[in-house]
Amino acid sequence: MKRTTFVSSALSVAFLGGTGSSALAQVAGGTSTLPAFGSSVDPGNVLVVVQMGGGNDGLNTVVPWSDDAYHRVRPAIHVTETQVLKLNDRIGFNPALKGLNELYKEGRVAVVQGVGYPSPNRSHFEATQIWETASPDRPQQYGWLGRYLDKRFAGGAKPASMFEAVSLGDTLPAALVASHVEVPAIGALNAFAYNTGRDLASKQSAGVLYDGAKAGQSPYLAMIAQTARDAYHGGDVLRKQTAEFTNKATYASNGFAQQLALAAKLIGSSAGSKIVFVSIGSFDTHAGQRAQQDRLLGYLGDGLLSFYQDLAAHGLDKKVLTMTFSEFGRRVAQNASNGTDHGTAMPLFVVGGGVKGGIYGEHPSLTDLDRGDLKFSTDFRAVYATVIERWLGRNAGEVLGGAYPALAFV
Amino acid sequence: MPDVKIDTSTDPQVGFRPPGTLVAATALQPYSGRFGQRHAAHLLRRAGFGGSEADVARVAALGMSGAVDSLLHPTAPDADFPPYPDVAVLYDPKKNRQAAQLWWLDRMLRTNRPLVEKMTLFWHGHFATSVQKTQPAPMVGQINLFRQFALARFPALLSAVTRDPAMLIWLDNRANAKAHPNENYAREVMELFALGLGNYTEDDVKEAARAFTGWTIDKDRQAAFVPARHDDGIKTVLGTSGRFDADDVVAVIVSQPVHQRFLARKLLEFFVYSDPEPELVEALAQVYAVSGFDVARTVGTILRSNVFYSQRAYRAIPNSPIELAIGTLRYIGAQTVPANLPYQLARMGQEPLNPPSVKGWDGGPAWINTSTLLARFNFVNGLIAQTAPGKDGRPAVPAPNVAPDDMVRRAGMNAAKIAETIVAGVVQNDVTSDVRATLVAYLDSQTPSATVQNPLPLGPENYQDKIRGALALTLNLPVNQLD
Repeated sequence: MKRTTFVSSALSVAFLGGTGSSALAQVAGGTSTLPAFGSSVDPGNVLVVVQMGGGNDGLNTVVPWSDDAYHRVRPAIHVTETQVLKLNDRIGFNPALKGLNELYKEGRVAVVQGVGYPSPNRSHFEATQIWETASPDRPQQYGWLGRYLDKRFAGGAKPASMFEAVSLGDTLPAALVASHVEVPAIGALNAFAYNTGRDLASKQSAGVLYDGAKAGQSPYLAMIAQTARDAYHGGDVLRKQTAEFTNKATYASNGFAQQLALAAKLIGSSAGSKIVFVSIGSFDTHAGQRAQQDRLLGYLGDGLLSFYQDLAAHGLDKKVLTMTFSEFGRRVAQNASNGTDHGTAMPLFVVGGGVKGGIYGEHPSLTDLDRGDLKFSTDFRAVYATVIERWLGRNAGEVLGGAYPALAFV
Repeated sequence: MPDVKIDTSTDPQVGFRPPGTLVAATALQPYSGRFGQRHAAHLLRRAGFGGSEADVARVAALGMSGAVDSLLHPTAPDADFPPYPDVAVLYDPKKNRQAAQLWWLDRMLRTNRPLVEKMTLFWHGHFATSVQKTQPAPMVGQINLFRQFALARFPALLSAVTRDPAMLIWLDNRANAKAHPNENYAREVMELFALGLGNYTEDDVKEAARAFTGWTIDKDRQAAFVPARHDDGIKTVLGTSGRFDADDVVAVIVSQPVHQRFLARKLLEFFVYSDPEPELVEALAQVYAVSGFDVARTVGTILRSNVFYSQRAYRAIPNSPIELAIGTLRYIGAQTVPANLPYQLARMGQEPLNPPSVKGWDGGPAWINTSTLLARFNFVNGLIAQTAPGKDGRPAVPAPNVAPDDMVRRAGMNAAKIAETIVAGVVQNDVTSDVRATLVAYLDSQTPSATVQNPLPLGPENYQDKIRGALALTLNLPVNQLD
């Protein structure tokens, strides 16, 4: 069974060393050796999840710049030694990640290398589903964060705020689909309101209609009525709450940076968001990769730098942990269109004042491949388990349906 | 009955099957019951984009069979559409994505062949291609292709899609050559377009990709077959071997029972209800196979069937944002699409020509979240408000069916009768009595409240705005988010 594979590979997780001074003794402690959840975890901790949609090419993100094999298989799209932002004598950041590199130098970025899972899926949709439901082997109706929320608010408990968990986008990602916690999707602050102009009686009547809406024959009707109630009341609440918070950093105008600016408001105001899902894409670089990926990585790194400057100015940077993910990495060799096709393992980033910065896990070998693809060394569910137990203070096993050895980045 | 294998692992509609029991034996037999206004409105919503009260009455008068025939085999010439937007102009992506979107939305609004346009939208969601990678002009070409093949035989459609310039760009088959195969298109043909996950192997993808080699685009972005790029060797796809080209692979794929179930299920989810029973899928798959993969005959069977007119199928599926928006515009009699509709549809979660991925829109429960519902409500509120002339002299957006004067002429200055007329027209009376009471209270509020300081009874000074307000409230009811 696959369980053996990921346990043994997760046990190989080791600190490669080099620059992260605070990153010592970061070896996984085997299975289920975590402290009892809830004991030492601040209930005010916040998780921000960044989806890098489309399949981010890991080798041009965390670049094995000293490996000749890398330059050999990517003649037209490699990051050269003069371009790379070196982290140690083996790897470095894509130069577009200069904002992230500043955070890294401050010890606030954990780079988790070679993240994946057994029998990787190369379909965007299925792989995204796998990552967002944390379930490679069988379909799961609810997302990994949705299941966390369901456990946290079990037995009819209500979140203190309806913005406890939010998705900043027009559609709810699979990760946040929960069975009994409603997660709002907020495309933009000013659009999140029931607007009737001067006709306040119409607005009031809409509230009466939604509050009194009945379930019916279709299972959809109860769902629509409940969502209408949340939407109707939520807009007014949200605007009042977020007005309390002023961003104290300059964010770029791109959509991702603007999502982070709103995330800071949701976290720092009485909206009190504890889970925020943001997204950036598309990283599906089958052709002309360098221009497209570098632009997006620039948005990512610079956006996160602004975000943490803002949070620090409000004294919140140690309360907020941000992790990235993408549905898969890409093939080792470039294709004929100066791009890369769908691949497997990739690095992800965990950022925050409460993060033990450094490099975690093995960089995948570029010569020991699985049919031209990288082999993973860290199961992505070990990253989730670490975040759930050590940052959010819940038992990861009850969310993930299995024990996964934690990493030491928190 | 045969083993029905359909992968539903990523189908968000699983779990939203309506309660009750399918009568499998007669589900696809022709419906012979009463065909009234509610049946006609149901048919128009599912097989078109809804319509005005007059449209519903006209379809009801045709009877079920006549109504379905008129949708499947329209004889009258279509509305006159301009050769717009100019194709040369469309190559500037900065300005012209919206022009292409409005060009299509206008066709949805004004066509008198609504089922053809509805199937065009179905295929857009099925072969989901995005303007983000392809640019507007090839997307307009692809939409025209979907319209041409809207109700054709599926293999003809899939063959045409294989050599469609937008698709050649979108899934990289233009880069697929014997010397350097690109599997992207072959994989999605199997996973998303024709078979579904779990019904093919990685080797099938690789072999099919070889058969698709050679199809590319030339410098004018027209499809071109370059023999030197084609791999003309023997391929083995789904257990069948031969010196296959693209059309041969299409023929192998459609001959698979799993394909027939795959498409049957998707059509049932689109037209009937979520998560259809395996017996129903199997029965429609047989119809599809026996028809020679004829989409018109398959869809016709659905639209005439007992299950389509059953209580379980009635208002059983959330409408998509495009269905909601075009349905509302048709209901009020609008003849032009608001210029900002593409932007509003993006907020609602369905920007035409820009699906979130090649998987298309998930649909079902995924249409409904707090922000998409607010976007729907505010679209309606803004639209209906704009049908009144502005106090600043702004002209009203023409909407001949939003006619408070006609309403008062018919119903009198009587809040109860006006509310009755509105809920009958908008939602075919599919509301409970407390909804009517709330609408009456809104129309005729006489008691001061937190928001209504100086309430007025319904009268000459306020009926214009009140009737529009009650119309918007009714359009924004939860039940009107269901088709």
